[in-house]
Amino acid sequence: MVKLSPATSGFALAAAISVLVNTALSCAKDAYAPLKAVMKSFAGHDWTAQSLIDLAFSVALGLIFMNTRIAERIEPARLTASLIGAVVIAALGLAVWFAF
Amino acid sequence: MFVETLSAQPSNAARFRTVSLAVAICMIAAWICGGYWYVHFYPAEKALILKGPWPFAHNFFMETKEHLFFVTAILAKLLPIATRERPYSDAAERKLVLSIAALIAITGLAVEGAGAIIDHGVKVALLRTASKDAR
Repeated sequence: MVKLSPATSGFALAAAISVLVNTALSCAKDAYAPLKAVMKSFAGHDWTAQSLIDLAFSVALGLIFMNTRIAERIEPARLTASLIGAVVIAALGLAVWFAF
Repeated sequence: MFVETLSAQPSNAARFRTVSLAVAICMIAAWICGGYWYVHFYPAEKALILKGPWPFAHNFFMETKEHLFFVTAILAKLLPIATRERPYSDAAERKLVLSIAALIAITGLAVEGAGAIIDHGVKVALLRTASKDAR
């Protein structure tokens, strides 16, 4: 089986998880006003706070996966499918949440 | 980037790696500039939209767009890392890079389309105010 490098596989898996966490966080702050207020007090605006959280989370998770080589064990085709699936779920999740 | 990867060969490896880095840099610039605009100037537009005939331009399109943008940004950050591999010699690696590039394009177009509707939400709100004033 062809393997992706630890960096590519680690950051690809981190990206798949991060987009889902981003959607969950977006829905959570929309549903729970105190969370939005905490995020606003942290960075001046909840969107700015979410930017920083997303960036830090995806980089930290990518570095963890790269160093532990956990994602390297996943077959590249499955990793690609996971990333596509995560983005589709994240995008549709946001659209459905804000539509209703 | 997608087309570059379709024809990826050792001879154009440097070019598609440069392009992938350019995508990430442009996305970071959009993140900073768009974020500055959104945080400082959008609240006035939001107030106009919500009073106008197209409140869904904010309630649905802006709310979705401002959070979907992060998905595009996370993918753009991944692109230069993925192109450090050799997509010209391995089909699985090529599929990963093609998928990332396609997802960036699709989510980017969705964000752009939503932006056009938001702009139109402001426009129709201003037009209604202007037509009331004209009467």
